[in-house]
Amino acid sequence: MPRKGRHKLYDEDDYDYYDDYKDDDEFDYAEHGQSRKEDDATSSAPQQNFLGGASKAGETALGEANLWRCSICTYDNPEDYLACDICGVIRHPSTRVDQLSTAVPFKFDGPSPDDKVLAGKQRNARSVPVEVSSPSILSKTSLSTMETKGGVNTSHSSKLKATLESKAPARSRKLGYDKEKKIESCHVIKPSQYEGESYLDDGMKHMSLDNNLQDNGIINHKIEQSSNKGLPLDNYKPEQWMLEDNENEKKLFHLVIVGHVDAGKSTLMGRILHLLGRISQKEMHKHRKEANEMGKGSFAYAWALDEGSEERARGVTMTVAMKHFETKKFKVVLLDAPGHKDFIPNMISGAAQADAAVLVVDASTGAFEAGFEGQGQVGGQTREHAQLVKSLGVNQLVVAVNKMDAVNYSKSRFNQIKGSLAPFLKQCGFKDTAILWVPVSGIEAQNLVTGPSETQLTSWYTGINLLDAIDTLEPPVRLTSKPLRLIVAEVFSKITLGPTAVSGKLESGAVKVGTKVLLMPSREIARVKSLEQDGESVSVGRAGDHLDVGLQGVDAGALMVGGVLCHPDYPVPIATLLELKVLTLGITVPLLRGTQVVLHAHHAKDPARIAELVSLLDLKTGAVIRQSPRCLTANQRAVIQVVPERGVCVEEYTNFRSLGRIILRDGGKTVAVGVISRIISQQ
Amino acid sequence: MKLLRKDIAPDASGSVKLVPEESEDLWHAYNLIIQGDRVAAVTVRKVQRETSTGGREAERVRLKLAVEVEAVEFDNVASVLRIRGKNVVENEHVKLGAYHTLELDKQRSFVLTKVQWDSVALDLLKHACDPSTNADVIALLMQEGLSQLCLLGPSITTTKAKIETSIPRKRGAAIAGYDKALNKFFENTLQAVLRHVDFGVVRCLIIASPGFMKDQFYDYMMLEATRREIRPIIENKSKIILVHASSGYKHALKEVLASPAVVTQIEDTKAAQEVKALEDFYNMLSNNPARAAYGPRHVEVAHDRLAIQTLLITDKLFRDADIATRRKYVSLVDSVKGLGGEVHIFSSMHVSGEQLGQLTGIAAILRFPLPDLEDMEF
Repeated sequence: MPRKGRHKLYDEDDYDYYDDYKDDDEFDYAEHGQSRKEDDATSSAPQQNFLGGASKAGETALGEANLWRCSICTYDNPEDYLACDICGVIRHPSTRVDQLSTAVPFKFDGPSPDDKVLAGKQRNARSVPVEVSSPSILSKTSLSTMETKGGVNTSHSSKLKATLESKAPARSRKLGYDKEKKIESCHVIKPSQYEGESYLDDGMKHMSLDNNLQDNGIINHKIEQSSNKGLPLDNYKPEQWMLEDNENEKKLFHLVIVGHVDAGKSTLMGRILHLLGRISQKEMHKHRKEANEMGKGSFAYAWALDEGSEERARGVTMTVAMKHFETKKFKVVLLDAPGHKDFIPNMISGAAQADAAVLVVDASTGAFEAGFEGQGQVGGQTREHAQLVKSLGVNQLVVAVNKMDAVNYSKSRFNQIKGSLAPFLKQCGFKDTAILWVPVSGIEAQNLVTGPSETQLTSWYTGINLLDAIDTLEPPVRLTSKPLRLIVAEVFSKITLGPTAVSGKLESGAVKVGTKVLLMPSREIARVKSLEQDGESVSVGRAGDHLDVGLQGVDAGALMVGGVLCHPDYPVPIATLLELKVLTLGITVPLLRGTQVVLHAHHAKDPARIAELVSLLDLKTGAVIRQSPRCLTANQRAVIQVVPERGVCVEEYTNFRSLGRIILRDGGKTVAVGVISRIISQQ
Repeated sequence: MKLLRKDIAPDASGSVKLVPEESEDLWHAYNLIIQGDRVAAVTVRKVQRETSTGGREAERVRLKLAVEVEAVEFDNVASVLRIRGKNVVENEHVKLGAYHTLELDKQRSFVLTKVQWDSVALDLLKHACDPSTNADVIALLMQEGLSQLCLLGPSITTTKAKIETSIPRKRGAAIAGYDKALNKFFENTLQAVLRHVDFGVVRCLIIASPGFMKDQFYDYMMLEATRREIRPIIENKSKIILVHASSGYKHALKEVLASPAVVTQIEDTKAAQEVKALEDFYNMLSNNPARAAYGPRHVEVAHDRLAIQTLLITDKLFRDADIATRRKYVSLVDSVKGLGGEVHIFSSMHVSGEQLGQLTGIAAILRFPLPDLEDMEF
């Protein structure tokens, strides 16, 4: 219930001034942060005067020095009243924060019940980014603490901002929101976070924020109807619980199995799982019996991974199967990718999670050639898979030369394959030292988990077995210090996790039961209800883990494969126009402006079109050869702009590697691979 | 489209009276009517009237109005054509020069008067009124978790239904969840097929997908058809064609239309010809880039040197352009034809036309190489 004439304080000009600070370009900001800071310092002084003058005029007209708004009835009471004149509710005692009240008269604006409803309504109606008062920000200055409350009288907060901008340029970006949005946000506190708490309590919490920051942690949220961007990633400071990690524990390692169709990927892995005791004798017996009944006796091991009836009937892996096993060094998450060319989109989503890959090649006569050279102009999947895993950030490769039994464990055949594959892998960008060559036989279980027993093989092979080869791989670096990013690989429901559960790899940050997460691209807030890893309940998940997350408070429709669970303060951008640095592969049809492609990024796929061919780059040096080329042909490097139809959740490669890789496909073939150099526009 | 009357004078000015019969015809009308034309049709307008007591009263009056066209809008889904312009015929309710928006609907006749009927407009009129070109093909594009039902008319493609579900990955004992989700997805798709496919009208139903999705769905559909006695499907089994596509997205339609099994069915349709022409252009561009040109400037230069063998142009260029630019494109089309070249006017409502539209909307295959085009600015 504003007092008469008080709305004068909402002077149009004030907002216009802040509109100038609306800075859409994060990148730009970082670059000019320094100069902006100085600008602010100089420009804020006259502004302060102006504001001071304006508010003074308004107040004198009222005859009141300061007002505080009752959080219950929203009546504006004079500063010196301790309780509301109308309803008698006690004003919060600690409102008078010393540093503040001397500098700026502070007024506490609690949201009215109407506002609460409105906030909820708006949250549903439009997507609302949520801001978490994370310790890094809150502890900066008490000024900013007050600011984040959002309950500050506008005119005063303007003053605050003027001061703030000069002090904390990084934060000022946040302040530049639209006029109308700002008006709303001044009175809107997101209701859901405060469910079950009275507003008074709410106030208490905020007032005492300085000392119990750690306890409140990131659960302490506040909505702000401001910019979509969230905070710059650099601002993020992980909390203690996110970092602590048991060093003695075996590290989780994602391993993807790729290779041409029928190279024996699933059989090889089924065999390993069986030898390691991950598949019981009973199950194996069942598989063997069923396979024999269908006349596919040799598929018995593959059936351990290919569980779909369609996959079994056709003898082809179609989706990525996920299994867990342990080596001496790692807890391995095994991703068995399909080899058939029609299922490469599935293979991409599997490989996007991987830390290393096992490339299975078929040693039998003619089969290796088919996988490598392919038919006609089209290369086989050995070739395509190798290029894809490399472009998806996999740098370590184990080449398992399978079906050695079919060629009598011939050394010359092994060397021949190595001879023709090695130069190609080098061309793909794999370092010689990062490739291990292991001759194996899946069906005869040679050289898998123990050394070879076949004399034909032992006579010339002295190297390590496949499992040991996996152990020699370098463990991946975990991005524990970055904000939460979990890429949704799968949406499902499970009794233990509830109807809305997602599964995926935690690319960075950490999550524990009870934390609030922001679901992109639907921009919904959900609470983590339960966490599971390999079917076992856990309480905390950290970067690198593969988690099944049970969510609460979201609609199943808001969950989608390729979405990202993020820290509510640091939402992932939903890019609508991307600049990519790409390398075209062996394409027959050139890429032109307007070419329609399917854009794959981690688990997301979206039809897209090429909006612009920006420049052609030199293959080796990366220097610009020519601007706006007419078309792109095979094996060229170029900078292009791409428009995804619906927008994808990605990051710039320099900021976040695993979210910054892109594959463009068309007509069942991979046309280009690359990285995101710039997100030009986002939703 | 039914042509009721055609009065075109030797100086190419004149009028025609047309009745659109289906949404395809409205699309043709959309392409025919350009800024500056006059369109007369029966319409409804709200008219303010003063009563004897001095009060005002609004009344909806049905009247015939003629407007000078300023803007045309086409709504593909609702099949409505809206024509905005100034009134040119004096009327007791509507002042001369007052704005009015005519809504053209199916089965409502209208009179179109042009100052000049150019060759492109006349061709279009002839094409639009040719009943033999009417034949529809329905394509069902599928991939795991996504299916789209597209109606391919002679000149427009309409997405009739789009079904999206997320299907979980297989996982241990919960494999049942995968099968369940897949079955539900198939059921929804089948319902969409039953709702939108009228086998009496369409020539064939194409089911296209990567992998085995199409076979799986076909099996499911046949099983359900027998179980539930869905006559249309059982009787029209021979009209269903299974084709491989690389994805379930709309742009995979061009692969579908190019596949041999489909080509034999739709050889004579405009859509198929367009797909082929665009494919030829791409092939030329990859094999002999100097014999392919795109962009208005490059094509113009190529035309000046009489190099154009096949001209590919979208109808969007004729529609959006101002009169002078339209005239330029029309004369380009005429002169290419006069020089023995071939001209394909792509419908921007087809996938191939959409793609050509992205590629500046104009392209050409040349008779002889012009390598210096490469160095020229667009």
